Amino acid sequence: MFIQSCFQKDGGRHTITKTDDENQDEHSFASEIYKGTSKEETVMKVNHLRVVYHTDDNETVAVEDFSLDIEKGKLISIVGPSGCGKTTILRCLAGLLQPTSGEILVNNKKCVSPGSDRGMVFQDFALFPWRTVRQNVEFGLEIAGVSKGVRKERALKYIKAVGLEKFADSRIHELSGGMKQRVGIARTLIMHPAVILMDEPFGALDAQTRNIMQEQLIKIFEQSEKTIVFITHSVDEALYLSDRVVLLSKRPSIIHQIIDIPWERPRNRADPEFTNLRKKILDYLAGQNVIG
Amino acid sequence: MKLRYDVHNKYHRFAIRSAVTVASLIIFIYVWWIAAMLANKSVLPTPYRAFEALLHLIKDGDPVQKGRTLWSLIWLSILKLGKGFGLAFITALPVGLLLGNFKLFREFFSPWIEMMRPIAPIAWAPIFVILFTVGNGPVMVVFIGIFFPLLTNIIFGVQKIDRTLVDAARTLGASDWQIFTKVLAPSAVPYVMNGIKTGLGVGWMCIVAAELYNTTLSGVGYYIKFMIDCSRYDYAFAGIIVIGILGFLTTGLAECLSRVVSKRMGVDIR
Repeated sequence: MFIQSCFQKDGGRHTITKTDDENQDEHSFASEIYKGTSKEETVMKVNHLRVVYHTDDNETVAVEDFSLDIEKGKLISIVGPSGCGKTTILRCLAGLLQPTSGEILVNNKKCVSPGSDRGMVFQDFALFPWRTVRQNVEFGLEIAGVSKGVRKERALKYIKAVGLEKFADSRIHELSGGMKQRVGIARTLIMHPAVILMDEPFGALDAQTRNIMQEQLIKIFEQSEKTIVFITHSVDEALYLSDRVVLLSKRPSIIHQIIDIPWERPRNRADPEFTNLRKKILDYLAGQNVIG
Repeated sequence: MKLRYDVHNKYHRFAIRSAVTVASLIIFIYVWWIAAMLANKSVLPTPYRAFEALLHLIKDGDPVQKGRTLWSLIWLSILKLGKGFGLAFITALPVGLLLGNFKLFREFFSPWIEMMRPIAPIAWAPIFVILFTVGNGPVMVVFIGIFFPLLTNIIFGVQKIDRTLVDAARTLGASDWQIFTKVLAPSAVPYVMNGIKTGLGVGWMCIVAAELYNTTLSGVGYYIKFMIDCSRYDYAFAGIIVIGILGFLTTGLAECLSRVVSKRMGVDIR
């Protein structure tokens, strides 16, 4: 019943997949050039999302009227003060949490439950410890009933894409944090989701690994032309990675500001424009946290 | 004297450990011997008499009931243990998964479990022998002895499952049934193994205790009781040694198995 995704069950996901792969091989970085100029197609639409948590004697409004259009091929990050309901929003987008009201559309179809059209990458990796790296990456295909040989071949391709080809048969506990999250990303990428949802994916990693992972994510993002919604605590990370930053207020979250980031990648963290914008956002967040 | 030792050579460490084990066994027998000499009663034979009887038992079988070998005694006990264990496993597994997953069931059944669990399984023996016949009574005692530790471990295991793994499976398109077979079941395996480990230890105790009832007519426990009735205490002690060794082997095997499984599943629950 969870596979009531927004695609038809027999839908052309695997055909889409093939063209995606071909594009990836032929164009690679070329997509960067026309990304801004091509007409912007909305993959995911969030309309008036509202989430209320009920406890024994009171109710807390976690998210108040959150609406957002997510265009194809964009990396959008959601930033907000601590405890503002960022993760709540992302869980709603993934279908893991039912919003109190409002709706979520993927390719104009309403989503009410999780589905493999929206991939999710978790902060604590959420890998299956009894499976090897390859078996973890294969999980979604196995669920979809793809045959063993095809599964293996495609899994190895994605494991290679995240640079773990030497560890395909390793067990999860043998990997470092950064490697674990790369498995998590490969496991999501292999399903060719319309949107990849990332919940503070690098939050559990040390600063150096985090920087390396950011570079890798940009590379993957540019090569695969994926649409990514990224949640982070780090303003620096948001500005470094995203096309657009959605700045939330404190709980109950409403969108305070949507900032389009015009800079080309790779970005320079020491650039005065970069540092200015970062300071502005940090000041806003600090104000929100103090009042809250 | 140095009571802590810290040796990095693998063989060296093994040698020290073996020496300690051997010394421990020798001193154990020595203490037994002194106790037997001091008591000076036939009801507590010296280790020499007991091991002599054990050798006879291994070579010639039961001195009273001719034609019954030690191995057939052991086999009869193991058979009962196996039946009781199998029965406990196939009932505790579905019940445990059900109670672990659904709070309502858990709340309904927990008074039953908490009432039944503290009862010493052996207390049921006289009743079960009448209720389930002489042959099956001890099996049911084993069943009840293993069932509860297994059940509580499985319930605990299911509740300990990492919910984000379930979330991950759902976002990858898994159905309820697929989540059950591909996420919940494998994550509960180490806990099930832990239950098996405790269950087997308890089961082994139960089977021998249940066999001590005169009516059961088979197995190592019955043999001990029979020898005591015949005042052949040395042979009774030989039976007790057999039980000790078999119990040690059973729990050792379960421990090994549980370690292998934990490693295979990538989960360390200790």
